[in-house]
Amino acid sequence: MIESTERVEQFKAEIAGMRLRDPAGGRDAQLLRAGVVGMLAGLIVTVVAYFGSHSATGAAQQDYIVVALIGVSLSVVGAAVFLRYSLAQFLRFWLARLIYEQQAQTDRIVGTAAPKSDGLGVANN
Amino acid sequence: MSFAPDGLAAGADGVQEPLLELRGVRAAYERIEVLHGVDFAIPAGTVFAMLGPNGAGKTTMLRVAAGLHRPTRGDVYMAGRQVTGAKADELARRGVCTIPEGRGVFPNLTVRENLRMATFAGVTLPEVEEATFARFPRLKERRHQQAGTLSGGEQQMLSMARALATRPALLLLDELSMGLAPLIVEQIYEVVAQVAKEGVSILVVEQFAATVLGVADYAAIMVQGRVVKAGSPAEMESELSAAYLGG
Repeated sequence: MIESTERVEQFKAEIAGMRLRDPAGGRDAQLLRAGVVGMLAGLIVTVVAYFGSHSATGAAQQDYIVVALIGVSLSVVGAAVFLRYSLAQFLRFWLARLIYEQQAQTDRIVGTAAPKSDGLGVANN
Repeated sequence: MSFAPDGLAAGADGVQEPLLELRGVRAAYERIEVLHGVDFAIPAGTVFAMLGPNGAGKTTMLRVAAGLHRPTRGDVYMAGRQVTGAKADELARRGVCTIPEGRGVFPNLTVRENLRMATFAGVTLPEVEEATFARFPRLKERRHQQAGTLSGGEQQMLSMARALATRPALLLLDELSMGLAPLIVEQIYEVVAQVAKEGVSILVVEQFAATVLGVADYAAIMVQGRVVKAGSPAEMESELSAAYLGG
């Protein structure tokens, strides 16, 4: 039945070599949550450090500045992780929807404007 | 009901391993379960036709096989390896190709530009065009035309051509005959039979059985999320009306 088994063997080898994620792991969801936590934690740390620096002087104040900078960095990284695992997914759906709507729109226009065809695109006059 | 063609029983010695196998697959949309335990296996290089009335769960089963829909229970095996939960793009890169219902061409791109989309698989555009135009000469005449302005038959040809250009090992076809004239359906299925002879395993989901049974090696009937009958195309032909009408 099979004339060429080369592709089948290649497919078997590629499937065998696939690195599969544990479907129960939900890594994406965990990273999404980690992003939100990082963003909020960074914000809180920054605000606390800002007010703490008011009552501190000298080296202690410099420590508060460093802590505040770490907080800002944490917020930025958290926001980036959040965007990667939430908006990226949303944008993929948005793009798919856009393509689908374009296709539906073209179908409507073709249905209205094109002459009757014989099924192969040849007009029947 | 469990179904595997003769000689594909799991664990038997010296038997050919199925290229695609679904074992006890259940799938749901939110809380509504649409597949209630689907089992079947497709040997390499064969055409397997899954028939059934509208709403039987055929497309959902196809989506599960392609990695587009995660089953709630059961497993999907490819070439003997469990791939349940694998992403569709990971499977696609390895040679699982789906042609969805409605063809899935880019309507505002030309035929040539649509074919260019297949070059992600490592083939050059001239190679894609050569293979495509040899198989579907009509697309050569229309290569500068927008895909959305092609007839239904030509769009289906383009969709097939783009899929075949990626050198798939497993082709999943959803309702190829949808909205096409019988003559065009026959032409498309001639290509399907030819592709299967080249070693590609094919799962075809169809509501209208007449033509697909002529090219299938195995067939099964799905009703209400279950495979109710399975066997040779000749056997399924005689069972169809009873299955569709609930007899």
